[in-house]
Amino acid sequence: MKKYSWTRVSWIAVILLMAGLIFYAKPWSKKSLPVNEFRFVIASEPPTLDWSLATDNVSADIIFNLMEGLVQYDADLNVQPALAEKWDISKDGLRYTFYLKKDVVWSDGNPLTAYDFVYGWQRLLDPKTASEYAYFLFDVKNAQDYNSKKLSDFNQVGVHAKDDHTLVVDLWHPASYFLTLHAFWATFPLRKDIVEKFGSPQWTEPATIVTCGPFKLKAWEHDYKVILEANPLYYGAKPKIQTATAYIINEDSTALSLYETGKVDLIRRIPPLLIARYKNHPDHRSGPFLRGYYYGMNVLKKPFSDVRVRKAFSMAIDRTQLTALLQGNQIPTTSWVPKGMLGYEPEVGLKFDLDKARLLLAQAGYPNARGFPQINMAYDTRDDNKVIAENLQQQWKQNLNIDLGIENQEWKVYIKQLQTDAPPLWRLGWGADFPDPDNFLNLFTSYSGNNLTRWKNKSYDAFIEAGAKEQEPSKRLAIYHKAQKILTEEEVPIIPLFIDAQNVLIKPYITGYSLNAMAINILKNVEIHK
Amino acid sequence: MLLFILKRLFISIPVIFILATLTFCIMRVTPGGPFDKDKAIPPEIKANIEAKYHLDKPPFINTPAFHEKKWINILTETQYFYYMKGLARGDLGPSYKYLGRSVTDIIRDSLPVSVELGFYAALLAFLLGVPLGILAAYKHNTWIDNAAMFTAISGITLPSFLVAALLIYIFSIKMGWLPAGLWDGGWEYKVLPTIALGLRPVAIIARLMRTSMLDVIKADYVRTARAKGLNEVWVILKHVVKNSLIPVITISGPLIAGIITGSFVIEHVFAIPGIAKHFILAVTNRDYTLIMGVTLVYAVLLIIANILVDVFYALVDPRIKLS
Repeated sequence: MKKYSWTRVSWIAVILLMAGLIFYAKPWSKKSLPVNEFRFVIASEPPTLDWSLATDNVSADIIFNLMEGLVQYDADLNVQPALAEKWDISKDGLRYTFYLKKDVVWSDGNPLTAYDFVYGWQRLLDPKTASEYAYFLFDVKNAQDYNSKKLSDFNQVGVHAKDDHTLVVDLWHPASYFLTLHAFWATFPLRKDIVEKFGSPQWTEPATIVTCGPFKLKAWEHDYKVILEANPLYYGAKPKIQTATAYIINEDSTALSLYETGKVDLIRRIPPLLIARYKNHPDHRSGPFLRGYYYGMNVLKKPFSDVRVRKAFSMAIDRTQLTALLQGNQIPTTSWVPKGMLGYEPEVGLKFDLDKARLLLAQAGYPNARGFPQINMAYDTRDDNKVIAENLQQQWKQNLNIDLGIENQEWKVYIKQLQTDAPPLWRLGWGADFPDPDNFLNLFTSYSGNNLTRWKNKSYDAFIEAGAKEQEPSKRLAIYHKAQKILTEEEVPIIPLFIDAQNVLIKPYITGYSLNAMAINILKNVEIHK
Repeated sequence: MLLFILKRLFISIPVIFILATLTFCIMRVTPGGPFDKDKAIPPEIKANIEAKYHLDKPPFINTPAFHEKKWINILTETQYFYYMKGLARGDLGPSYKYLGRSVTDIIRDSLPVSVELGFYAALLAFLLGVPLGILAAYKHNTWIDNAAMFTAISGITLPSFLVAALLIYIFSIKMGWLPAGLWDGGWEYKVLPTIALGLRPVAIIARLMRTSMLDVIKADYVRTARAKGLNEVWVILKHVVKNSLIPVITISGPLIAGIITGSFVIEHVFAIPGIAKHFILAVTNRDYTLIMGVTLVYAVLLIIANILVDVFYALVDPRIKLS
């Protein structure tokens, strides 16, 4: 190389870089925002838009706008017809016949048929699909056997298309919640030709996906944003907005900054400890949420093997202190079925009663907590969980003179620990998959994989099974009343604390966005008045 | 020089292999797996999922195969073997969290964004850090030196999330000049993340440049150059700066790799769709294949950066010969 060539080359490189940068950035071409665009925040990249595979709320936020099921919920979570015009249920509750609307077409113009449902269900149950939510259809005859490879012929599974517009489903046993399952994404229809032509997951990309809901998938910039646009072929009333953009923002405080600077119109999650700050904000809205927060006790471990200790712990908590701390319109509760669901009975459960709590503790052999073993209460690392744990620790100290340690763990470590060897006292929550008390009460049956208390009670199990089979709401209510009494008054493997609430910020120029207790994100009625 | 680069690349293959093995071991001993959730999955469904991802096989040694005396299967029917087999073909496997997306796809989508942001930050670091260091050294022990070093120390000590939060508060929320986040193409989206990410490297380079220049400025050949009556600017640029750059170049390799991959906080705070967030999120999700993928990307970037540094050495300092 010549003497100065290196320096010269470097200078040329730098100049070229700068020029490229300026050209790339194009500061003079400010992009204008598309009109009639609704912008909202989702908390992570949707793990999938394949509704046979999706298991999380973020994917659901998008899928519920791209697709519909046989039925859908109204604002009060009553089941309404969607893709099905009507249905018949046989007297014994074992056969469901759905009659599809005849004017429904997919976004590529092909008509929707009952065969699309059969294929969707077959794919959901196919062991090769490895769908986590295959169990949603386990009430259907032979569905479980097909999923666990005990049966290879799908024709023997209790679902078939009688003709293009009639879907017939046979169940093993009556299931009073069965209709609600068809508002859930896992049971939505699927286009066999599309899925088989493009394969998984390519068929869910904007260029290939075919849907039949109010919106179409226009773009999906992974880890950044998902853009939906109104589906002109949608059978129902057309959406009022042309475009809806979901920005993927993991950090809540960023979402708040973007909201405050007018870059987004809706955020659906305010960090729990910031709710107090936004409570009086004019854009703040609060709504019910079918989600319960509880502390569970491992009944196989001392001291909670003694029901008197469990009762004493539950009675020594003033739950209003917790909701006052959180300030997000949560509802203190001593019973388990949340408000907004059949079977919500606020009067059930052990109320705050210090004298009785102390007496029970003494009867269990720990008068004034003397001789009470040293145990820790466990929670997964999160700000609101910490605040709650510290308050409970203080209440149990103050009210029962019990010194509890506090232990927190990262979520995956925590959940593994609970599932393999649950500590004596731990926190969890439960959100409804479908708005039926079975979804909440089934959790604590002896055969439920989600019952981490290790508590087993035959009469409780029997009530839950009877409740699922019973079709008459008033009789179901009576059955669930007894079950809840066992769960929260007599045996007390869990301490229900409060029912969660939704807290959102929405711009005042947006109308038509309603909060439902399932937190389903429905955009088709949204309007922008700017 | 080509031979040198090829040799270095060849040596890096076992390095990557060892790194992959170590990462694999650490991941498998960490409690909690990709499909552990609070909502329990029926056992038959869990079996289907595990079979799909080969997670039904033991991680390292297949003991049932040992009992069945299928000797080869002891090592081949393991998660480790399946992964390494894929890796040897350049297949990083499917993500366990983003169902159906391959790790290669995720990296292909997110790495360019991080590289772009990293490029701006690195550019800022060099364009600002080097002159700042030169100025501080040249005006040694004056208020200019003190001010420059105060800025540098602040840049090093202030955590980037704080810098980012301050920038957002001042320029987005209060002034309304620049967006508080997102990455929508326009230059205005790039200013704050670049400053937030570049401030620390600016400080590191400025300090290094200053120290190194203070050494060089006292060297005999500088005195000789001045004695020859050369122009002062020429002395500084030609003799001092060029020779002071060597330590800066040494650190620039790892620094650039670090800027590209280590911008987790910045990408997180500004909602930028880069690769850095996967370093953290993949671990919290126990997305085994993605953890491995991003770790390997980091390793490859470091290796390339270090090779480039060595090449630059030879260009800047004629005393160094590549062999």
